[in-house]
Amino acid sequence: MFPWLSLILFLPLLGSFLSLAFWRRPLSCRWASLLVALADFALVMGLLTLNLKGRIGATGKWLLAEDFPWIERFGIRYSLGLDGISLMLILLTAFLTVLCVLVSWKQITQRVGAFHFFLMFMETGVLGVFLATDLFLFYLFWELQLIPMFFLIGMWGHEKRVYATIKFIIYTIVGSLLMLIGLIGLYVIHGAQTGQYTFALYQLVQTKFSPGTEIWLYAAFLLAFVIKIPVIPVHSWLPDAHTEAPTAGSVILAGLLLKAGAYAVLRFAFPLFPTAARSSVPLLLVLGLMGLFYAAWIALAQKDIKRLVAYSSIAHMGLVVIGIAIWNMMTLSGAVLQMINHGLSTSALFILVGMLDERVQSREISNFGGLWGKMPIFSAFFLLFAMASLGLPGLNNFVGEILILIGTFRTWPWVAGIGFVGLVLTVIYILRLVQGTLFGETRNPRIKELYMEDITVREAAILVPLAVAVLFIGLYPGPVLNLFQEPIEGLMTLLK
Amino acid sequence: MFDWVSILPHLILAGGGFCIFCIGAFWRLRSAGLLFAIAVIAVFLAGAQTLLITPQAPHFSGMLEVQGYGRFFTFLIIVITGLTLLFSHQYAKLRNFAGDEFYGLILLAALGMILVAGAVHWLTFFLGLEVLSISLYVLIAIRKADPGSNEAGVKYFILGAVAGAFLTFGMAIIYAVTGTLNISKSLAVGAPAGSTSLIFLGLSLLLVGIGFKISMVPFHLWAPDVYQGAPAPVTAFLSTGSKVALFAALLRFASYASNEVWSHFTPVLWILAVLTMGVGTISALAQLQVKRLLAYSSIAQMGYLLMALLAVKQNGASAIMFYLAAYALMDLGAFGMVAILSAKESDLDALEDYHGLAYAHPWRSAILAVSLLSLAGLPPTAGFIGKFALFWAVLQASYVVIAVIGILTVILSIYFYFKVIAALFMRPAQRTVTVPSMALADRVAGGLILILIFLLGLVPAPVFTIIGKALPFLKIS
Repeated sequence: MFPWLSLILFLPLLGSFLSLAFWRRPLSCRWASLLVALADFALVMGLLTLNLKGRIGATGKWLLAEDFPWIERFGIRYSLGLDGISLMLILLTAFLTVLCVLVSWKQITQRVGAFHFFLMFMETGVLGVFLATDLFLFYLFWELQLIPMFFLIGMWGHEKRVYATIKFIIYTIVGSLLMLIGLIGLYVIHGAQTGQYTFALYQLVQTKFSPGTEIWLYAAFLLAFVIKIPVIPVHSWLPDAHTEAPTAGSVILAGLLLKAGAYAVLRFAFPLFPTAARSSVPLLLVLGLMGLFYAAWIALAQKDIKRLVAYSSIAHMGLVVIGIAIWNMMTLSGAVLQMINHGLSTSALFILVGMLDERVQSREISNFGGLWGKMPIFSAFFLLFAMASLGLPGLNNFVGEILILIGTFRTWPWVAGIGFVGLVLTVIYILRLVQGTLFGETRNPRIKELYMEDITVREAAILVPLAVAVLFIGLYPGPVLNLFQEPIEGLMTLLK
Repeated sequence: MFDWVSILPHLILAGGGFCIFCIGAFWRLRSAGLLFAIAVIAVFLAGAQTLLITPQAPHFSGMLEVQGYGRFFTFLIIVITGLTLLFSHQYAKLRNFAGDEFYGLILLAALGMILVAGAVHWLTFFLGLEVLSISLYVLIAIRKADPGSNEAGVKYFILGAVAGAFLTFGMAIIYAVTGTLNISKSLAVGAPAGSTSLIFLGLSLLLVGIGFKISMVPFHLWAPDVYQGAPAPVTAFLSTGSKVALFAALLRFASYASNEVWSHFTPVLWILAVLTMGVGTISALAQLQVKRLLAYSSIAQMGYLLMALLAVKQNGASAIMFYLAAYALMDLGAFGMVAILSAKESDLDALEDYHGLAYAHPWRSAILAVSLLSLAGLPPTAGFIGKFALFWAVLQASYVVIAVIGILTVILSIYFYFKVIAALFMRPAQRTVTVPSMALADRVAGGLILILIFLLGLVPAPVFTIIGKALPFLKIS
């Protein structure tokens, strides 16, 4: 069997070294990265069209799996597994990476080789997180994706970039290192029980714990993941990191890294520690709701468009957390779909803000207004993605949100009710954003006089596929949801 | 009949050292290039000998263990010495101390380290320690015109002499109680009835002495000053070679110690490990001078190793051995880069001078950054696998609390490692810093370290296999 997954996983790494090799010629770096990213995307699309069927292999039931010994001293294996959920997430990853290369085409002018090195390196890290089924391997990729992000924000970000990137790294490392302790603890406990020392997920889910231990291990894992999502009291790295990052950095952060957190809760934290996870559900629900309200409230007060979009991320991810915590067929489908949706619509908004910033070097809402008259096509896209973000029926976010809310209503009606109110708040700040930028008079005299070019061909090549994806999921979510069916059923049996 | 082959590495190093001294004394034309070449050849031959030829007997005359554990560390120390030589070649030439005493003493110091790491007899241990210390006293103060270097030399000398006294007294007590100079016998037999406290005293004195050398808190105060004052390549050698050798000896003593004695030591060691990790990390946080920062970081690194030493009776040794190898590479990388980035007048020390260095000197900055990432324990570097192994060792021996304390100090340490990386890559240069160009030797050493750090991080399995083969030699024979 050809190792397709490894090829997909490590192809971007090849791109990263190519761009390092071409570091003297910026254009070659861009093309090399673009071609590699496109090739990777094509490979993932190929997997999607193959219509794979789940097969029971050595490491559980996967569409595709690979499994080789790596560090035998510790029973660590290089094992990858692909199911419907990870397939959609790696598709999103490959897709957004292509866009990131395109987005940075004009924006990144300094140290282009290094930029693309880190960007493509990042893709490998994120893909690894979504594919690894050995916990040690997962942890490795989980940490690996931090380093390129640290450099992307710190070297190509805006004014307060060093502060933002150090804050980002400290927050995420606090979680992940505590998880490392939890991970080793889990490994040792499982090994002592069965005599078999392994990090394989399918074996570790059968570990039995004493209640006290389980809570602590679960807490160590969960903390790492909720920092990444991020959930309310540990979210404060996100607005800074998003605001200071270059557009591609924001896209990757919002589109992929936050997903990695939610995916890890779904794939690892809940199945590994079912009893503890059950008992944490009320806490997660409260935190999710708090995220929804708090972020909406703060977003209302934001002057910087990028910061506003960043806070909207927290709100959206709050809903995803609720969906995962409820843990039934419907909410889980909704939550996973919502991860994809949020990846698409929020990335699109960040890209649009980046385009504005490139044109006028400003992101203050108060400077804009009246863009519809100056840049109609841009404004139409902006309106589309803003509407998607607030959950307009017919667009992608609506499907995910409604699935989560209906699924929640069955078991926790009051949570669904409060969540619904939270979504209304989302409508308010998104509409305020749309009104403040697109309509009315341009408030800043400098920008009013400025000629602003409407969408270029390159920018259209970025926005059109995003718009198509948003509309496709909004109008015809069936095929995507079908992909989630089988893996979610598998997850449900783990937590009965 | 002596088995000469088994101590050939030692003989080669000693011979190389004396050859260099003789050239210095009797041949007027003592070019730095020739001396350097002899030193490198000696190190290379000794390394090849260690790597390729397995000694026939495990011990040499009951003095040295040469087949497994000792051989592992002999090779590691020879690698450290070789890299140090490469880093210091241009550095020493620019600063006019590339003479016979420099190269000769480096070889002799390496010999001392190998003796310390392989000793199974208290006399060998003492002999190695003295050879190592005396060579280092001179090496630290080798920039004769530089008051900082001299001050560092004197400081290290006085404290080293005190530590030596502690060690000697400890050995004397152990000898007096057990009546043997064989290390494993004297430690394993345990004390005759009624003298447990004496053995305990002797071992405590030994621990104090070794603690000085490996900069264990509270005996660490010399480290930042000496590291800052010594020429950077010597600092690299001091913080890797001598610590690795002494820690190897400490690990050997701990493995030999009888369970009864060891059980008295664990609470003490627990506290010392926490102190070393904590003090090292917290002191490093506020440092604005890179050499001092690295000094405190290396103290913290010793703390992680001490923490894993708690688990020595429960399979912890393999983790410590791997980490020592990883630590040697990454610390050499960090100090080595400081050395080759430094201008002739003084070492590049203030953090401000590192601002934006990556734009002008990408390779050196990248290697420094990789070394720091490895020290911080991030994948895919040797430091990550090493940290994983250490924490595995501690947790599987059920020391949960200290593992959590340890990981908290690792989290704190992220801040100062990333502070340096951020300075290198993200902040604009504030003043112009003159940086010498890289010599061939520097390139080779830097490249080797870069490759080895990633190699140990990605394919650690062979190293663990070698360690697995070396471990039985820690059992009492």
